[in-house]
Amino acid sequence: MAIAEYLVTDDLTVLLGLISVSVFLLQNLYKPQPLVHPILLGRQSEAGRVRNPGESAVYRNYGTGLMGRFPLRPDKDVHLISDFLKADFESPRTLWSTKITNAQLKERAAAVGAGLAQLLPGNSSVLLVLNDGIEFLIADLALSASSITSITLTSPVLLSRVLEAHPPSAIITDASFLPHVLELIYDEHESHPKIIVVGQPDGNVHPKAVAEVEILGWADIEANGAKAARTAPVTAQNPSNPSTLAYYESASGQLQGVALSPENFTAGVTAIRALFPPSSGLSSLDTLVSAHSLSTPFGRAVAYTALYDGTSFATLPSTKLFHVTEARKNDVADIISATTLPIPTPTVAFLKPGHVQALTSDIISRAKSSWFYPLAWRHKFAGLTEGFVTKDSLWDRTVFDGARAKVIGELASTLKTVIVSGGPLELPTLTPIRIALSVPVINIHTHTAASGPLFATQALDLQILPSDGSALAHVGAPSVNVEAKLVGVQDSTVEAGGDPVGEVLVRGPPVGVPLGEEEKEDRWVKTGETGRVLTNGAFRMLS
Amino acid sequence: MPLSLDLGTPVNTALLIYILYSVQKIIFPPAPDLSTVPRTVPTEFKHGYSWMPKSHPPTVLFRTYTPRTLEPFNGLDGGRILLAINGVVFDVTAGRNFYGPDGMYGNFAGRDASRGMAKQSFDVEMLTPVDQPLDKLEDLKPDEIENMKGWIDHFSNKYIICGKLVENDAV
Repeated sequence: MAIAEYLVTDDLTVLLGLISVSVFLLQNLYKPQPLVHPILLGRQSEAGRVRNPGESAVYRNYGTGLMGRFPLRPDKDVHLISDFLKADFESPRTLWSTKITNAQLKERAAAVGAGLAQLLPGNSSVLLVLNDGIEFLIADLALSASSITSITLTSPVLLSRVLEAHPPSAIITDASFLPHVLELIYDEHESHPKIIVVGQPDGNVHPKAVAEVEILGWADIEANGAKAARTAPVTAQNPSNPSTLAYYESASGQLQGVALSPENFTAGVTAIRALFPPSSGLSSLDTLVSAHSLSTPFGRAVAYTALYDGTSFATLPSTKLFHVTEARKNDVADIISATTLPIPTPTVAFLKPGHVQALTSDIISRAKSSWFYPLAWRHKFAGLTEGFVTKDSLWDRTVFDGARAKVIGELASTLKTVIVSGGPLELPTLTPIRIALSVPVINIHTHTAASGPLFATQALDLQILPSDGSALAHVGAPSVNVEAKLVGVQDSTVEAGGDPVGEVLVRGPPVGVPLGEEEKEDRWVKTGETGRVLTNGAFRMLS
Repeated sequence: MPLSLDLGTPVNTALLIYILYSVQKIIFPPAPDLSTVPRTVPTEFKHGYSWMPKSHPPTVLFRTYTPRTLEPFNGLDGGRILLAINGVVFDVTAGRNFYGPDGMYGNFAGRDASRGMAKQSFDVEMLTPVDQPLDKLEDLKPDEIENMKGWIDHFSNKYIICGKLVENDAV
């Protein structure tokens, strides 16, 4: 029969049959498992059931839920800023270039606090015009433990306006910025604040100003305070009293201030610790680097997280706000300079979009010199479409590890999480970033009015979503202790099933109280930014 | 019997082609298209990792009702069922068994049920006609007011607050 002739099988058929079965199984079972189940990424925030006309519903993180209470503190005993320094943690860690233990840090803060108390009356305010360093942290710890309010600025151009709006009793500044500060004060002709200088001022300080203005050295304050600190009484602190004011410029150019209390900072630290995937939380073996200045509430919350978890910490040189030289750009050299400090190699980096994009383009251009690059890219991309990425794959070992090591050196092998904030990330750059870094990259949105992140993506979210008009990546759902709503929304669009678009308002424990709104009953704070809610509950910032 | 290596047999050729094709798919996964941002994504998580739900979760618009505009929401046409207690309008469509036309408390659907809730009665006398001004509830005793507040709490937990009730001519 003709058919039987064609279907003749022999030993080779058996062999080929076995091979084809194993190839079939390999192809179907080799698909990598997504790092987070996609069903969770379709419902990232929980929306309220009712909305007011012209507004959207109130959105909360899906993990917190509409009925859940906001997490307020990382541990039940952490109420004040000084509680971030755990008493039972005794090993030293390096902060910038100083190796110090918690106990020593507390002592130094107490000494500075006592020194300042000798100089200034209670309920006064001190303006911190300092660049990031251990002195800033010690001054901040000292001031938060006393009844003196600290004032910080997010930009040096606000200095003259803040001196007018809220004249402080003292100013702590860097030696290099001293002439600029003196110039501004001298112009004021009002009662001059005392000036405390960190570092050695060089000789050419305006002589007239020196006669009128009292200039003291930081080291003297600390030394005087150390003698008095032992006998100083400890004042009871109320965590909900504002301990610091942060001034920033709103979108319309107006000077805006926000008052933050220790409660806001404990909530902010809780939110930052909740960003990390459960498998890679922070511990004392980590090292944090941050591109956010301590003068911003978020930058300070990152520093407090480092203090609380006992990690080493440093900020990048681009955080220098108060300087007379040109500003540092956000690029790879900035990141590498963090490794020149005596801290252990960083494991977690809080960077700005400029850093991440520069890093990605450098790594990709180095990787292109390898022969296997096109194949490696295809394999990595196939993994991404399944929701999986890892730093230990074959393609990393052959192509990308070498490229990363050439660009950032030792950092390539220790970096385990990157958190991006401070600006929008573009959608087309997401895939190259994820492939080049191959670690969880968390996109968050911060605002000066809040100490923690307002919105944060899921740590292991690797979705590639369409752009629907704006080419910016979404910033995820509201953070674990923030609720958000949009106002100025078109009701007709929303009733027809479209995405609500409007100004974002936020409320929650990490959000401070804007100055001038202390008497308001509802605590909704306008961020001044336009946002859009996607169907999966993620927010996309449009401005 | 020696192994016959005759690849001319169709079965062997077919298997060989299948193996070569699958191996090629494994070693060279599909290349991404030039624009790595897709136009559309699936609306079910089973159809792909990058997916988006088709629509937002439903939300109810908070509206101001008068007795006349509240009255049609009595479930007779199969639509939403609303009822008001002390000026707060609740969407009780989920409790159609109780508040629907055939339910035990169907009298309250689309009406101001404050007096009935306070006095714990479902009689028609507890309702004021829609043309008249709202029931001021002045003659209620303190324990009846407490009872009504208890019902408001129960309703707030169980159903959605979707509006407020004002006088007929206030709008």
